[in-house]
Amino acid sequence: MAREAHPALPEFDYIKPKTLAEASQFLSEHAGESRPLLGGTDIFVRLRDGAWKENKFLVDVKGLDGTDVLTFDEQTGLTVGAAVCMNRLSSFPAVKEHYPLLAEVCDTVAAYQLRNRATVVGNICNASPAGDTVGACLLYGGILNVFNVGGTRQEALNTFFVGPGKSVLKPGDIVTSLQLPIPPKGMIGKYLKLNRNNRGDLAIVGVTAAAYPNQDVPSGVTVRMALASVAPTPLVVSAIEDYFKQEKLTSDTVQTAAQLAMDSCKPIDDVRGTARYRSLMVRNLAKQALTALLEKM
Amino acid sequence: MTLAETKKLPSPVGESKTRLDVIEKVTGAAVYTDDIPFGPGLLHARVKRSPHAHAKILKIDYSKAEALPGVKVVVTGEDFPKRIGLYLVDKHIFARDRVRFIGEPVAAVAAINADIAEKALDLIEVEYEPLEAVFDPVYGASPEAPLLHPDMADYDVPNYIFPQAGTNIANHFKIRKGDVERAWEQCAAVVESEFYIPHVQHVPIEPHVAVARWDDDGTLTLWAASQSPFAQRNLIAKSFGVSQSDVRVIAPLVGGGFGCKAGVTMEALPVAIASKVKGRAVKLTLTREEEFFTNFVRQALVIKLKMGCDADGNLVALKNTMYWDGGASTEYGVNITRAGGYNSTGPYFFPNVHTDSLCVYTNHPIGGAYRGFGMSELHTGIEQTIDMLAEKMGIDAVDFRLKNCVKGGDIILTGMTMHPTGLNQCIEKAAKAIEWGKEAKPSSPNKLRGKGIALMWKAPSMPPNAGSSAEVKFSEDGTVTVSLGGQEIGQGAFTVMAQMAAGVLGIPYESVRVRGPLDTRYSPYEWQTVASRLTWSMGNAVVAAAQDARDQLLDLAADHWDEEVEDLDIVNGKVISYKSEQEMSVKDIGIYGLPNENFEGWKGGPIVGRGSFMPTYVTNLDFETGQGDRAVVHYTTGAQAFDIEIDKETGRIEVLKSASAFDVGRAINPELVRAQIEGGFIQGYSSAVYEQMLLKEGAMLNPSFVDYRIATAVDIPIEHHVDIIEVPQDDGPWGARGIGEHPMVPTIAALANAIYDATGLRLEGPPFTAEKLYLAMLDAGLVE
Repeated sequence: MAREAHPALPEFDYIKPKTLAEASQFLSEHAGESRPLLGGTDIFVRLRDGAWKENKFLVDVKGLDGTDVLTFDEQTGLTVGAAVCMNRLSSFPAVKEHYPLLAEVCDTVAAYQLRNRATVVGNICNASPAGDTVGACLLYGGILNVFNVGGTRQEALNTFFVGPGKSVLKPGDIVTSLQLPIPPKGMIGKYLKLNRNNRGDLAIVGVTAAAYPNQDVPSGVTVRMALASVAPTPLVVSAIEDYFKQEKLTSDTVQTAAQLAMDSCKPIDDVRGTARYRSLMVRNLAKQALTALLEKM
Repeated sequence: MTLAETKKLPSPVGESKTRLDVIEKVTGAAVYTDDIPFGPGLLHARVKRSPHAHAKILKIDYSKAEALPGVKVVVTGEDFPKRIGLYLVDKHIFARDRVRFIGEPVAAVAAINADIAEKALDLIEVEYEPLEAVFDPVYGASPEAPLLHPDMADYDVPNYIFPQAGTNIANHFKIRKGDVERAWEQCAAVVESEFYIPHVQHVPIEPHVAVARWDDDGTLTLWAASQSPFAQRNLIAKSFGVSQSDVRVIAPLVGGGFGCKAGVTMEALPVAIASKVKGRAVKLTLTREEEFFTNFVRQALVIKLKMGCDADGNLVALKNTMYWDGGASTEYGVNITRAGGYNSTGPYFFPNVHTDSLCVYTNHPIGGAYRGFGMSELHTGIEQTIDMLAEKMGIDAVDFRLKNCVKGGDIILTGMTMHPTGLNQCIEKAAKAIEWGKEAKPSSPNKLRGKGIALMWKAPSMPPNAGSSAEVKFSEDGTVTVSLGGQEIGQGAFTVMAQMAAGVLGIPYESVRVRGPLDTRYSPYEWQTVASRLTWSMGNAVVAAAQDARDQLLDLAADHWDEEVEDLDIVNGKVISYKSEQEMSVKDIGIYGLPNENFEGWKGGPIVGRGSFMPTYVTNLDFETGQGDRAVVHYTTGAQAFDIEIDKETGRIEVLKSASAFDVGRAINPELVRAQIEGGFIQGYSSAVYEQMLLKEGAMLNPSFVDYRIATAVDIPIEHHVDIIEVPQDDGPWGARGIGEHPMVPTIAALANAIYDATGLRLEGPPFTAEKLYLAMLDAGLVE
């Protein structure tokens, strides 16, 4: 909690490597005292507030191989370079056409000006439970392409988050892009974000829901949901997916499912809201989000 | 000039003239304090602040800080023994024996750059011994509480503030009118209530910034973002033991004041630091965090009310006990308590009133002026309790208000006779705008709908003899410069003054110049830009100065034409004679005068009009009863109303309609009046729905815009209905009264009454966040 009267950015060195290898090398050699830098919309605020006091280097990974890529391929899906800002992403025609939920969630983040800097990959790598874009990326089955001097690999988002601000990334890892496969045919989605104000706030509760026809489940429709700000990590509610394997999405099952969502979350009290309110809002917003899906189907 | 005289003038008064400062502000050309360059010699200050809410200072060791290269000086409370304060002189610039709130200045550093000053702060070692702290004003007022200012009896204080030595009560203001205890027997209905209105901050866009330089001759120059250059000159001169004339305060435009740049707050810090490095300018700019928890706040209030009326619905008695959370110093706050006291009935007539308004020292941040000066807090209690009583009597809340609201000729709570007021019209207009009385169904089963109304009154809260002065000077081109000492803080004061001067002089509005910066060396005296007093008080001074200049012009023309002044006039910048039908331009005579026939000498000379104004009729009030002939200069009154829906699934409020109606006496510039009403309403709405300083053991938990939420453009109602009522003030220019603060006064209460109408719930106090409303509805069984 910032109670410091004159918080200021600590001294740090800005490192602008020429290659991914150089960046990764530097980050691993300076483990614990260096961080990769993308849009900086979160990192500078947190540095000023005294987080990461041990940090001495910001390693700018924008502009490195593959980080500026934004492409859509009918076979492999969407590739979002780490340095692609949210405004560029949400206005990309293929995103609007094939991943409308992603465009929708981007436009709820902070303000337009900030979205000129803020990136989805940054939002993911922060591993904040409040990340607005994370739920949609999870439901789209997102995979991160990770570069490391020791070798490149892929990390699935559904096993990426470990705790508040913590992910499976290790020193020297640089996420170069986010990969979203072609969404299932007929997939629809909805993001509901509870702010204190109408816009420009952090999510007090965020509910991302998606559904698509699926002949492999008895109900014929798969329904998935991810929650923000109500657990130590972004939370995919597996109970919802299980429930709708058997049950069809109806105004009755929506009620039960909303309760399942509420029961699965573990919010805390903080200055932005109480655990009690957050739990209840998960239920109410889950109901609204699922109802919205029902209406779209 | 009397009203009858001013009314005859052909003038831009009453027209919505374009603001004088609009171009420079929109283009970014306007100069604010931070824009002024001081060259490479400028020193940058940083302040070491207390981490304790209440503690004894055992030892300060700043030897390491002093030794840091680049540090020019380190100061502590040892260096500045004198106290400072606007009303109760109770504050040290730097804490001396003890600290009384988290954020109180303990020491400061001036260095060649801010980074070095910052580093030096960490090298200052302060040893504290924590003391028991007070965070609750009710407890603070009790005999059990530890004394926060044991020396209070020795503090200088004006004779209308009543500190209670041996307690934490820095001012005890009483009203004893009639016999309240016996009056309850006459009541057909009595209601009791208690509310808590929390601390909020002003959050101007421009943080506090001040630059001070002492020169070798012992004179001080202070550049500051300031609503009060003259009050600062006076208080700083007294505290530093120098002559007022040796202190020069220069005040450029202000990027938002709302009261937080009134009096002396952080400006004394760079002045103190600079006194130890003569010849060097020392600059201090507060961080946003410092804005939040180290500077003056709107103090919290605990208000306990008991109110009764007779069988016909006539108000009979009011008992009002207010505990103001004054904070660590009450130098300014004692007068908020006083204002709370002499306004404590709200705009209603009660034959019996018993008020105790207590200003209590606590270990919270210092309470100071905030738009409304205690009135939002007071009316939040009064106006909800009026609704409660009306409901208990089964009387419509608007009818109940029309019946009981204060009217011209009423003997109000202090014994003063109320002047004519348009409050009745305000109530009717605001009620009509939201279709009061017409049943309104929720737009969906997921919503609850409600309407609410609240009234307000407020008098300028100031010393009885707060004065204004002005000068009017001509240029060769016939334009006129008005010099004055009141500040343009966004409200449009300069524009309105130009309209008045043009109106009196008979010259076009476009020919009048009013510009900053204010400069106490050259600007005429003005007490402070507070209390919504400029249009009225400074306006009267400007009118007098313009009239003086006008008289000189007419005398000169009458002499020249050998006519009577009564036959002359000034119209569109020309002196005209209705008798001989001669005319001449003021630009030909404003500077150079006029030649005698055949140029045998000259008459006239540069025209300088001067004017001043000070109310002479305000009387002190009796300590025991609060009674006196005239407590205040006048009251601006008004009403506000809401038609809202509450979302049953989230608790969020959606405003369907909102309306204001205020009696401003006369709208000199109706668009500016409207802007003040809209802006005040938005600030009131913001404090009603979002704002609260979360204080835990004296520490603010949300000192940033991330978690101190204010209403933004997307949060406010798209339309706000405004009615301007004009029942003239006998001593106001063209009958005008102030409107700067009033529009945010009834907002919390009006919204609370609408919430009650929708839900049947009364919350302890604002902000009425979605969470608070939802959980209250849940606990009441209104939602699942």
